[in-house]
Amino acid sequence: MEIRPILSALLRNKTGPILVALQVALSLAILANAVYIVNERRAVIARPSGIADEHSTFYITARNLNSDGPEQRLATFRREADLLRAVPGVASVANVSQMPLSRSGWNTSILLDQRQQRENASASMYLSSDSLVKTFGLRLVEGRDFLPQELVDLDEKTQDRAPDQVILTKALADKLWPGASAIGKAIYFGKSVEGMSSRVVGVVERLQSQNAPIGEKAEWSVIIPARRYGDTAAMYAIRTEPGQRDRVMKEAESVLRKTSSTPMILEMRTVDQDRKTLYRSDVALQWMLVTVSLLMLLITCSGIVGMASLWVTQRRKQIGVRRALGARRLDILRYFILENVMITSAGVFGGAALGLALNQLLVSKLEMARLPAGYLAGGALLFWLIGVIAAYGPAWKAAGISPATATRSV
Amino acid sequence: MLRMTNLSKVYRTHMIETHALRGFEIDVREGEFVTVTGPSGSGKTSFLNIAGLLEEFTSGDYILDGVNVKGLDDNARSRLRNEKLGFIFQGFNLIPDLNLFDNVDVPLRYRGFNAAERKRRIEDALAKVGLASRMKHYPAELSGGQQQRVAIARALAGSPRLLLADEPTGNLDTQMARGVMELLEEINAAGTTILMVTHDPELAVRTTRNVHIIDGQVSDLVRKGPSLVNPVATAAATA
Amino acid sequence: MLAYYFRLGLRSLRRNPLLTALMVLTLAVGVAASVSTLTILHMMSGDPIPEKSNRLLVPRFDNGPLDGWAPGDEPSDVQMSYPDVANLLKSGQGERRTALFGIAGPLEPPRKDMPAFVADGMAPTRDFFAMFDVPFLHGQPWSEADDARAADVVVLGRAMAEKLFGDADPVGRQLRLMGTPFTVAGVVDHWNPRPRYYKLVGGNTFGDADDFFIPFTTAIRHEADNNGGMSCSSKREPGYAGLLASECTWLQFWFEARSAADRSDLQAWLDNYAGEQRKLGRFQRKVPARLYDVMEWMEELKIVGNDNKLSVWLAFGFLALCLVNTIGLLLAKFSVRASEIGVRRALGASRREIFRQFLIETGVIGLTGGVLGLVLAFGALALIGMQGKEVAAMARMDWQMLAMTFVLSVAAAVLAGLLPTWRACQVTPAIQLKSQ
Repeated sequence: MEIRPILSALLRNKTGPILVALQVALSLAILANAVYIVNERRAVIARPSGIADEHSTFYITARNLNSDGPEQRLATFRREADLLRAVPGVASVANVSQMPLSRSGWNTSILLDQRQQRENASASMYLSSDSLVKTFGLRLVEGRDFLPQELVDLDEKTQDRAPDQVILTKALADKLWPGASAIGKAIYFGKSVEGMSSRVVGVVERLQSQNAPIGEKAEWSVIIPARRYGDTAAMYAIRTEPGQRDRVMKEAESVLRKTSSTPMILEMRTVDQDRKTLYRSDVALQWMLVTVSLLMLLITCSGIVGMASLWVTQRRKQIGVRRALGARRLDILRYFILENVMITSAGVFGGAALGLALNQLLVSKLEMARLPAGYLAGGALLFWLIGVIAAYGPAWKAAGISPATATRSV
Repeated sequence: MLRMTNLSKVYRTHMIETHALRGFEIDVREGEFVTVTGPSGSGKTSFLNIAGLLEEFTSGDYILDGVNVKGLDDNARSRLRNEKLGFIFQGFNLIPDLNLFDNVDVPLRYRGFNAAERKRRIEDALAKVGLASRMKHYPAELSGGQQQRVAIARALAGSPRLLLADEPTGNLDTQMARGVMELLEEINAAGTTILMVTHDPELAVRTTRNVHIIDGQVSDLVRKGPSLVNPVATAAATA
Repeated sequence: MLAYYFRLGLRSLRRNPLLTALMVLTLAVGVAASVSTLTILHMMSGDPIPEKSNRLLVPRFDNGPLDGWAPGDEPSDVQMSYPDVANLLKSGQGERRTALFGIAGPLEPPRKDMPAFVADGMAPTRDFFAMFDVPFLHGQPWSEADDARAADVVVLGRAMAEKLFGDADPVGRQLRLMGTPFTVAGVVDHWNPRPRYYKLVGGNTFGDADDFFIPFTTAIRHEADNNGGMSCSSKREPGYAGLLASECTWLQFWFEARSAADRSDLQAWLDNYAGEQRKLGRFQRKVPARLYDVMEWMEELKIVGNDNKLSVWLAFGFLALCLVNTIGLLLAKFSVRASEIGVRRALGASRREIFRQFLIETGVIGLTGGVLGLVLAFGALALIGMQGKEVAAMARMDWQMLAMTFVLSVAAAVLAGLLPTWRACQVTPAIQLKSQ
């Protein structure tokens, strides 16, 4: 293996090799980080919301333009919910204050002791006087769902009190009481509602917040067995039988409008739509990263091929001389591939260092996550492979140069 | 050492056929110093290329140091070149990015010698041509005559049986040329067979034997000396 | 001479079409990626109102409780409570001032064939329209008297006015909003600055224009719900009156200063006000009052998100790769013409002439790359715009970005060409003329 002479010759003529190594380094550094971000986002987008069958779940915001008092309104809400339940294909209906992934809703502070200074956690609040466990299809991992007598309707203009019972998500329970069971424990809802504590009666496996940010906060939610009604519109979450959603949506709209004496404003959205909207920019970023990564691979490949071809052309005579001196075709092939591997290696090492530096910049300036070593290692292997494959064509051409080139005068 | 019988070389490009050599006959014995002369276009270069196994020939026979070259594949020919032949070119053809040591090293690497053996041979060869002190220098730092001497060292390092020289003094001034010729004569005196192509008649005079090629064939013009006779007839007589 | 070199450059492009195509394409792709991401960044972070962006100021207090707060914590509230807004409106500070919040309410059109729907609007004070240079198509903003007595008047956005009344002038007509008849006072012409820099909190930052505007006092009187964000960190009594009395932050406020120099006076007044409120016990935390102008506010609220910045960095990294690649290709291209250079030098060209010739040649490549890059950039922006209406509004190229494309492309090509061109000049006539 003639490593030393090849290295010596490369060092004499540094410009070309440096350009190729630089391309490999830049590509590797950017590619490793880009692929990592793509994978990270994919994991984020794939997180389940907690709703058992998202494709069959949608929600209606119904606003009635009448001028009823609070009792009449409550009666209207109950009637609307019953009408919706009667629509064929509907599996379950619940009134709800907000929907996961909808980017619209409330958070609240949770305290373990009302006297303490700082909150223990900030959780997303889901209020309903129906069973969200049933309608969303949430999985209870501890305790139980609310009992019918625990579900209340409160006029928010006059009444405001903390709920007696609550259901938490597992992530929130683990945060508040690590290692212990949450059932029976008490929590307080910040300073805005003073007084009694609320007791945990159930823990569900998962229910994401309305914004589902990256990180553990997305999984902290609390379900409160109360409906707070006022002037605001009513929101109903509806789970249909599989495959029936679109038809049920049309029927639900018409049934509500038909049975109302006053005009109604109805807005309907599906959970699928919310998910798509919420993660739209993440998906776009993924596409951009993937496209640029592929383009970079192509460009680097073409750079290697181009440079190698140029060197073969420039060193025609030299190759002929080597052949005249006894080099076989295989020796010439090996020389060029080895030369290329050395240059690629320099690029790979430079790229690894650059990739780490780039990642450090991303972590500090753009709040991204740290790059696991595997990505750089995988990228290095990829570029080594590319270096060999890209150099093969020109090296093969070089091997075909006749030894008689040595004696010919150009 | 080298015998060609009824050799012919035809170049075919598109519609044109060029007969570079036809019915070519030559016999070079071990220890000889033979010059090959002829006008341009006579086929000298083709002859040298074929003799040096750089090109294949169309028909005829070529036996080099007892080995019949016909039918050998590229790998075998490369090996033969590497072990038995040494080349010296008009343009020196040193590799500019390598120093003198590495330049002489090139054929030895293909031979498969270990590092110690290679080092020994390189140092010996460079000493023989008087350039051992400049081993780490680069070709660009040397004069033409010195570069040619390095090329000779490269050719000698592998202990070849036959040295093939293509106009070795063509790019040198008279003084350097004389130096190179003296070196070649020394090498020949030490026992290496040398076959040299040149168009300089003065050089042709110095050697023991001269072969003249015209139109791809050996012509019967020979000069004085031990082989002062038609080389074809001589070959037939000794066969 | 330059025109001659330009023609030489063009001719040289045609001589080796594959190599040229590769170079132009690489450059174009790199430029397109950079320009399209830069365009979006530019649209998102450009100064929306350069004439007075340093005179429009947002005040910010921290009225949070002492619990859970350590000195030095960053304030989390970006909006203001009703007590503070009321005080600031009364203060008379600054040339003009306005408070606003977003509202959404049921709108019953006067046409019987159109069903009721929910419209998105805003409740500012009268000064808002003058402060933000809002153009009017019909009528004018409501009067100060309307502000004072919380009159039921409404200013419509142009799209909404055309939807309800067609092309006719609707000033003086009535429509039912939130269950009450409102009189139209004016119609705002097409006006949808994106980002919606005057109301950065509460969503719809890059969305459609506001449907309607009603006086701030009117919205309060009708107990309109806040269609935006709200943050309550202390006790709040139930009901709307309770909301108005609480320290919940849900309103936004702007001052207009007479000149940039008046900012310090306003700051001083705010510091004084904060001190008074601390004495009254409303502000418990020792956090100084702050003022932000338009650009500072957009920066504070991180309008340009991390993902946008990442895209720009990525694009420029990609451009750097294309540049290095182009240098290599140019080196190859110029090296095979060493004999031509040798001949030119032998025939009398100085080093500087060779330098000029080849630099112009790279410039020609840069221009060609720029043209192709522009086409690709448009394509890329169209693709990006497919995400949704809001992004499509940002993915639009203006003249500045257009010019930037060519500048970037030519600059990149020339930068890439410096090394190869310098190399080309080093070719000495003698060596190249002698055949190897």
